[in-house]
Amino acid sequence: MVAPLYTTDSGLLFHAGKILIVTVGLPARGKTHISRALERYLRWMGVKTQVVSLGDYRRKTLGGATKLPSDYFTLGEKTPETKALRVKVSTGCEKTIWDYFGDGGQVVIYDANNGTRAARQALAEKFDKAGIHVVMLESLCDNQEIIERNIRSVKISSPDYRGWNPDKAVEDYYIRIKDHEKYYEPVEETTWPFIRIINVGEKIMVNNIQGYLQSRIVFFLMNIHNRYRTIYFARSGQSLIEHSYKADSDLSPAGWEYAERLKEFVLERRAKQGANERRLVIWTSTRRRAHHTAWPFLATAQASASASASDVATIPEPLSPDGLSRAHRVSSPALNVKVVEKPQMSEINPGIWDGLSPDQARKYYPADWERFAKDPYAFRAPRAESYHDLSVRLEPVLIELEREREDLLIIGHASVIRCLLAYLIGLPASEIPAIEIARGDLLEVVPASYGVHSQAFHFWDGPGRRGDGPGDGSGKDENNFYENYAEDTKGKRKVVSIEVSEEEPSIGPFEEAFHASES
Amino acid sequence: MASNFLSVPSDNARVSQDLARAADALQSMQAEGGLAPPDGSPNIPPAVFGAGGRQGSMLKRFDQSASTSHKGSQAPTPPQSVKGIGKKVAKPDYSESKIVLAMVGLPARGKSYLSNKLMIYLKWLEYNVKVFNVGQLRRTRARQKAQQSGIKEDHSASFFSNDNAEGTLSRDRLAEDSLEMLIKWLKDGGNVGIHDATNSSRSRRAKLEARVKREPGMMLIFLESICDDPAVIAANVALKVSSGDPDYKDMSPEHARVDFLRRIQEYEKVYETITEPDLSYLRITNVGREVTVSRINGYLSSRIAFYLMNLHLKPRSIFFSRHGESQYNVEGKIGGDSLLSPRGMEYAKALPALIMDNIGDQPLTVWTSTLKRTIQTAEDLKYTKLTWKSLDELDAGVCDGMTYEEIEQAYPDDFANRDEDKFNYRYRGGESYRDVVVRLEPIIMELERQENILIIGHQAILRCLYAYFHHLPQDDLPYIKIPLHTVIKLTPKAYGCDEERYALPITAVDTHREKPKAAQPVVQISTARQYFAPEDVTA
Repeated sequence: MVAPLYTTDSGLLFHAGKILIVTVGLPARGKTHISRALERYLRWMGVKTQVVSLGDYRRKTLGGATKLPSDYFTLGEKTPETKALRVKVSTGCEKTIWDYFGDGGQVVIYDANNGTRAARQALAEKFDKAGIHVVMLESLCDNQEIIERNIRSVKISSPDYRGWNPDKAVEDYYIRIKDHEKYYEPVEETTWPFIRIINVGEKIMVNNIQGYLQSRIVFFLMNIHNRYRTIYFARSGQSLIEHSYKADSDLSPAGWEYAERLKEFVLERRAKQGANERRLVIWTSTRRRAHHTAWPFLATAQASASASASDVATIPEPLSPDGLSRAHRVSSPALNVKVVEKPQMSEINPGIWDGLSPDQARKYYPADWERFAKDPYAFRAPRAESYHDLSVRLEPVLIELEREREDLLIIGHASVIRCLLAYLIGLPASEIPAIEIARGDLLEVVPASYGVHSQAFHFWDGPGRRGDGPGDGSGKDENNFYENYAEDTKGKRKVVSIEVSEEEPSIGPFEEAFHASES
Repeated sequence: MASNFLSVPSDNARVSQDLARAADALQSMQAEGGLAPPDGSPNIPPAVFGAGGRQGSMLKRFDQSASTSHKGSQAPTPPQSVKGIGKKVAKPDYSESKIVLAMVGLPARGKSYLSNKLMIYLKWLEYNVKVFNVGQLRRTRARQKAQQSGIKEDHSASFFSNDNAEGTLSRDRLAEDSLEMLIKWLKDGGNVGIHDATNSSRSRRAKLEARVKREPGMMLIFLESICDDPAVIAANVALKVSSGDPDYKDMSPEHARVDFLRRIQEYEKVYETITEPDLSYLRITNVGREVTVSRINGYLSSRIAFYLMNLHLKPRSIFFSRHGESQYNVEGKIGGDSLLSPRGMEYAKALPALIMDNIGDQPLTVWTSTLKRTIQTAEDLKYTKLTWKSLDELDAGVCDGMTYEEIEQAYPDDFANRDEDKFNYRYRGGESYRDVVVRLEPIIMELERQENILIIGHQAILRCLYAYFHHLPQDDLPYIKIPLHTVIKLTPKAYGCDEERYALPITAVDTHREKPKAAQPVVQISTARQYFAPEDVTA
């Protein structure tokens, strides 16, 4: 059997070897934000990645700032005890890094100030000797607003300032930064490859970055932004032959009804959010069942465009007996949608198992099936794709997703939504195949600075929805058709808390609140 | 079984009827295909959905049974239902991308090289790209003037001096005219217009910025190329004076070199590197060694930056070989995952010596797809080998495992359709050439970054890669000849690739299908630099 894509004998991906990314920058320059975003991205691609945060480590081993000697963060000569404590923390961190590489980790992002040239040089030399590629990632910020916002939103909620008056805490934090500033030496040495990010992405400088994975990292950093937008996900409607990849069959009658209902629901939801004025970009795969599910949006957009283009007094031709009142159609602003078909977004390819039910696949390919069931993320059936293959295929889509500034509705297949959702909410790659994506739920994800807010709305109960079996994986959802064996979930798991009254969606936030960290 | 899979409890009788019909068709496809596992051989799986043999008639029956399905739709004009073995796909909509990419840099800093590379890459990705080279426009206009009035303009170094008021005026006008043509072309549907000029002063850049700002929806990005490696500059200068530049056609090479160096000096006097804080720009130092990216917004622009980051100028070669003849090749079948034929095995045995003769002791990395025939072909090569899923052959969907004759017989209309527009034709449940191009983009990026690479690939895959390196149009791409048992060696040069082909004397079947009823594409491979503007940009 063929080894999974990109994997070398050592289990490392992209033939890239091991990489240590050393963040450099004063406190409150967004190092942690960038480190976590990068960690999420690399992990999703299946690269074993870990952020080692000096601040978190210090808090864990020594406790919060109040438990530290008073000269821990201040300028000048320090007492031997303080020096020893600082050395203890940095040695501990380094050991964590070595351990992670030793356990088969591929990328470590060392989230600390690393503000002096000598310290960086010493650190980099040690790892370079062991054959680990070292990359400096410097975050500079000369925009006082960004710094202040960062301090207020992140730093003073850190455990170091528990119970402090916010303004006092900000003041104290500025003092801490000031001391660092005196010692800070920006990365000017070109000894090591470096990436310099100015004002969180406003400008990026790159020096001597080599390697596919490394340049991917730069490309990623160039594409992240933090503008407010909403991403919706919905599965495509039921098709005539759900479980055949090759058939590429059209929507069933129930699938067409689903498509209408999806459109209505999305428009209702956006009206409630006051988002109807904003443009909605819809991405679908090139599979018929997916882009035909987007068809009602286009039809409505055409209708509303011609309605608003014509004189208001003229009565637009009713286009479908869908119960929408004429008044509603005339008064509503033109629906502004754009539908984009993306060939990379097809469902996971089942290879030679195409058209077989999971039972049949198990029966005819027992050995392969067993390996597949054990590790559906990494195992690739003959001529099929593993979830890892799928993630690699989807990577360009993901960059575009990060880049996209407009509201986005992704009408896709369960396997594709799983991969993208897992990325957005930061789930480990191995859990991707087990995420439950029910047809008839609209998933809504709003990226925030340290994670995402997400909720699901249930809008459809027709055929092809899902059964009422227990959600623990013991019951088979006979009605929730997945498109092929690999789309089926192995041990179902809800990641977005549901739901579901249409009038009053209970907010079920899935929030990743990363701990604030400092120097 | 399939029927369990498809019969859905539903209140809607029509829905269940329709689904039952579809399920029936599928089930009988499995049964009548005669491929239900015979007793005692539980290891043979039932037939899967396909267009071949007896299954093919089932496919047709399925389409007929399903053709009514969309009538349940309330959508006003539902798209066509699925039929046959595939369909043509349309080009993606890039109409919202309008970028003016203005080069900045002294002469001989590789501006035209970078413009050319970018154009090829973006065109391969189906963006509409055009280079507007001010030097070409200058030479073309001077030639016209000389032909019409007999006045020969002096384009030696003094023309380029900032002290030459007339020359400066004339050069400013050329740059402006060229920009106007570019903007007009963008308005007419272009995506990326490359303004290939020196744009070396702040005031010139400010003018550009003010002009582009007047056009709604257009974005201006500067691409500065800095080079302080004397060897690279000297090589660029040597290339310039020796490659038939008409500016120097009446001069001795040495004289030309001196004049060109003087021209560079004139530019250096007024050259100002980009420091304007509000401009969007990319700065490349020594081609890929250091890249600065400032205020770059937009997916396409970050993609351009990513691409430029991966470029390098080190001499290297890229070898393409198809896998040895496979059993499916012998049987005339497409797709599949078969092993090599005996002749294919012979090729695999002979390949290492051929490669060794060519490459000697230089390092080389071998890339294969995940399919058995390429891995088998690479078996005896003693180099680092990497397996890429994205190098797998074009997926023929329902036609996988069929011969062209079978497809033609079963689906004459579809077959003719594919011949008509092979690049855009997507097999049902499979891929089109266009889909393959999209899938190969990361491979191109990696190839740009790497040094010596041998790809053991498949016909359609190698056609797409070959078209990239030789900058061949889409229509011709699916008809490029990539014979079996032949190694193609490409050596990238400044303005194209040199090519050598080594055919091993091991016979193999010919899997090439000519473009029917049409002239064969004339593959024009040029590594020469263009000194005059094409006719449509001199207006």
